[in-house]
Amino acid sequence: MHSKQDKRPTLLWIQGVTCNGNTHSFLNLPNIDQLLSKFRLLNHPSLAGEYSFEDMLTCKFQCDILIFEGTYDPLMKRGGVLLSKIVQHYAQTAGNIIGLGSCASFGGMFKASAPERNSGLIFNEEKEYGPLLKYKAKVINISGCPAHPEWISYTLSMIAAGKRVQVDELHRPIELFSTLAHHGCTRNEYFEWKVDTKAFGEKEGCLFYQQGCRAPMTHASCNKILWNEVSSKTRVGTPCFGCTEPNFPRQNLFSTKTNMSIPVDVPLGVSKRSYLTLTGIAKTFHVKRLEGKLIDYKKTD
Amino acid sequence: MARITKEEKRGGIISAALKLFSQKGFYITTIPDIAQKVGMSVGNFYNYFASKELLAKELLMYIAEYLGKRIREINEKDISTEEKIYEIVSMYFTMADEKPEMIQYFLRVYLSNREVFGEGCEGMICVSPFVTEMMIFFEEGVAVNDLHNQDFFSAFGLFMGYLGGMVFLFGEKILPEPLEWYKTSISQNIYNALKTR
Amino acid sequence: MTIKKLIEQIEGEANIYFDMKDGVVDFATVSFPHFRGLESILKGKHIMDALVITPRVCGICGHAHLMATVGAIEDAYKNAGEEVLLNEKIQNIREFTLIMEIIQNHFKWIYLTIIPSLAKLSQSQEIQTPLKGAFGASIASKALATFAGQWPHSSYMVPGGVTADPTNMEILKAGSYVDELISFFEKEALGISLDKFLNLESCKEFNTLEGDIRELEKALAQEEMNKKGFSHDRFLVLGEHNYTTPSKLKQTRAFSVDAKYVEDVSTYSPKEKSYAKNAQYKNEYYETGPLSRMMAIGFPIVKNMHRRFKDSAYSRVMARVFELAYLLKHSKSLLQSISIDELSYVKTSDINNLTAIGRGVVEAPRGPLIHEIDIKDGIIQKYKIITPTQFNIGSSQKSSLTPAQKAMTGLTQEEALFVFRTFDVCSVCTTH
Repeated sequence: MHSKQDKRPTLLWIQGVTCNGNTHSFLNLPNIDQLLSKFRLLNHPSLAGEYSFEDMLTCKFQCDILIFEGTYDPLMKRGGVLLSKIVQHYAQTAGNIIGLGSCASFGGMFKASAPERNSGLIFNEEKEYGPLLKYKAKVINISGCPAHPEWISYTLSMIAAGKRVQVDELHRPIELFSTLAHHGCTRNEYFEWKVDTKAFGEKEGCLFYQQGCRAPMTHASCNKILWNEVSSKTRVGTPCFGCTEPNFPRQNLFSTKTNMSIPVDVPLGVSKRSYLTLTGIAKTFHVKRLEGKLIDYKKTD
Repeated sequence: MARITKEEKRGGIISAALKLFSQKGFYITTIPDIAQKVGMSVGNFYNYFASKELLAKELLMYIAEYLGKRIREINEKDISTEEKIYEIVSMYFTMADEKPEMIQYFLRVYLSNREVFGEGCEGMICVSPFVTEMMIFFEEGVAVNDLHNQDFFSAFGLFMGYLGGMVFLFGEKILPEPLEWYKTSISQNIYNALKTR
Repeated sequence: MTIKKLIEQIEGEANIYFDMKDGVVDFATVSFPHFRGLESILKGKHIMDALVITPRVCGICGHAHLMATVGAIEDAYKNAGEEVLLNEKIQNIREFTLIMEIIQNHFKWIYLTIIPSLAKLSQSQEIQTPLKGAFGASIASKALATFAGQWPHSSYMVPGGVTADPTNMEILKAGSYVDELISFFEKEALGISLDKFLNLESCKEFNTLEGDIRELEKALAQEEMNKKGFSHDRFLVLGEHNYTTPSKLKQTRAFSVDAKYVEDVSTYSPKEKSYAKNAQYKNEYYETGPLSRMMAIGFPIVKNMHRRFKDSAYSRVMARVFELAYLLKHSKSLLQSISIDELSYVKTSDINNLTAIGRGVVEAPRGPLIHEIDIKDGIIQKYKIITPTQFNIGSSQKSSLTPAQKAMTGLTQEEALFVFRTFDVCSVCTTH
């Protein structure tokens, strides 16, 4: 499949405890063929690679880029081989390691399968911990449940182009994770004037006050780089669950935790006192335009 | 003789107006009454406040900020919610005792003449510093598991309505004992009503 | 002699142990070595959290899991005396997004699984085009996300409705994605129009096809897959949808069904611990998925195929291609019947007071997906999941073979490995 002159970087995609969500998210990438043409794909959970999975398990190969999807379980075996052995082998010589999805980044959903031992590659929730701590400098976490295909594309393209991917303290690419999921939400006006959504299934209203929306506390660019190029959770009235953050999945995801009606968590970086002052004032003004339905389909004239 | 600054004069108007409004009520008190009390001409008064309504609004904000500041000091103390309740009650009663015009203004003018505070004072805008601090107090009380998690206004009404009622009884000279005397039992009642179940 | 084969690219991994006799499979057992424990993760959580957790059972059919959860909760309301009456708009939108997930699954299965596996079996040197499958799937996902916000892992269905409140703009947009998908499918896969394809009456007419499906059909015939891979000739459909009919079929005789008769039993996996359980209907094994669904509605060409080739690997594969085509057409009519002025959500009583049991049954890409819940004051006491692959790919004793075991028996190892994949195996769902 490749000649000796093939100088493209080699890419290996390995899974731990996973649902394959990142794999399927990746397959939605519109320019997937162009992206893949930049690499030699050694093995992948659903696309044909140069080698079989059993070949990879012999640990006789090396890869330039290691993508790890899923929660890391030190006792898990893949094809009869300890995952720890596979991961350590390929991580040692890989130039870049990508923790793909929130499971690989922080433990995520399947940390709960064996909470006492499962973790991400270099973080257990927000605490530094994991099998690849000694290679920490090489690790880029693309969190998200699943990770957005464009985020994967961005990271791989940057690596292929030899450009440095600047990361935050949780090793996530800053260009993707410096803003909040709130940025670009089409319900922002309702947030500004503190108009709650009345129920599910409404175009109107903000989901932050009742329905547990985490967008103002969540680093992610999914309201800017849309899902499947068309939409996002909040755009279809589903609250953000904060799936890119180390504490995902939290509990009671569809309700806003309040103490005496006051939200326990307020927008990131805003003091509670300032938030409450602003909220009290904003709530005072009744913006009629924001209180009713935007469209009345039953209207006949 | 030291020159009286504009700011000091403004302060003078505020304290004179507070007293007059809280004793005589908003409508009976006139601008000439206030001007006379601070010893200035009516014309000069208008250099400070354009109307009686604006002055009334200013007074309200002055009280809310004063109360907010006191409660914030209490909120920032490293004490239990039960102790904070006691401190808030004490502060409020002390204020009612020493600066009765503040609380009286709140009860007699703000709550009884809502029409005066229409534009620019909608909802809680003019009392925001005070209400915000009460929100912080309640939120933290629940966060540390001292208070029962419930609707804000149910709790706020219980707390402030109770204190307002007592000060009203005190002002009407109905209370057989000085306000000071009720501090402990009232604090305990509030705490018992709001604490974790 | 027992030979162990590691199977990958089935949404996880599995091991097949072949007992060989005279060069063919005498008996095969299957084990799924990975465990994630989702049922116990769900226990003690608020039932609304299940809407976020269960889609994460599976990256390829998570939307079916979401719908099963919602169905189970709505059934619990009903059992508690409060029927949740969904209007047509809600039902149509839910059906549409579910169908889009089935379509993306089938696109991937055809191009990423079946065509390459068949090429491997026939040692064909044809250049593979797996990314056609990814492309088709990505367009179906766009149509899905237009209502559901994203795919994978949407949580837009909630008890009482959906969170989305689409305008005509979204409905038209979704329609244009379906149109795009239909032209792509006609051009690349069929070589004839979708309607013509759906109106084919006999397998002989397949030679009028010109695209990838023509090649697939030819290769299946060359490998004599119309004479191989027979299962029990029993089919099961349990989900209530308007594109199929709940029923069990023994050959072509149809009987009524009720999901309450489904039970899961321990697997027989003597060589290795397996975390899977086998699913049975009234103590019998049934094949589930597209072939069963198309048989249940008596789809003409599939019935014709079955008359000639029974439940062979050929019928199984081709039925799935026809289901894809059929669902593409059906989804258009669903979009047309969404009445914009109906509500997207009907209010239910407070879920925090809900104490009941409930069962949600959905036809997922591979067949019936069942979620059973027991909740007390909105908190999950027990959560049980039975997935389609548990029906198809169980591992049982020689005396009571599961559909996949039966289908692999008597074949060479290479053939058996191909036939195994004709069931469209989902490892992660099986062990959830």
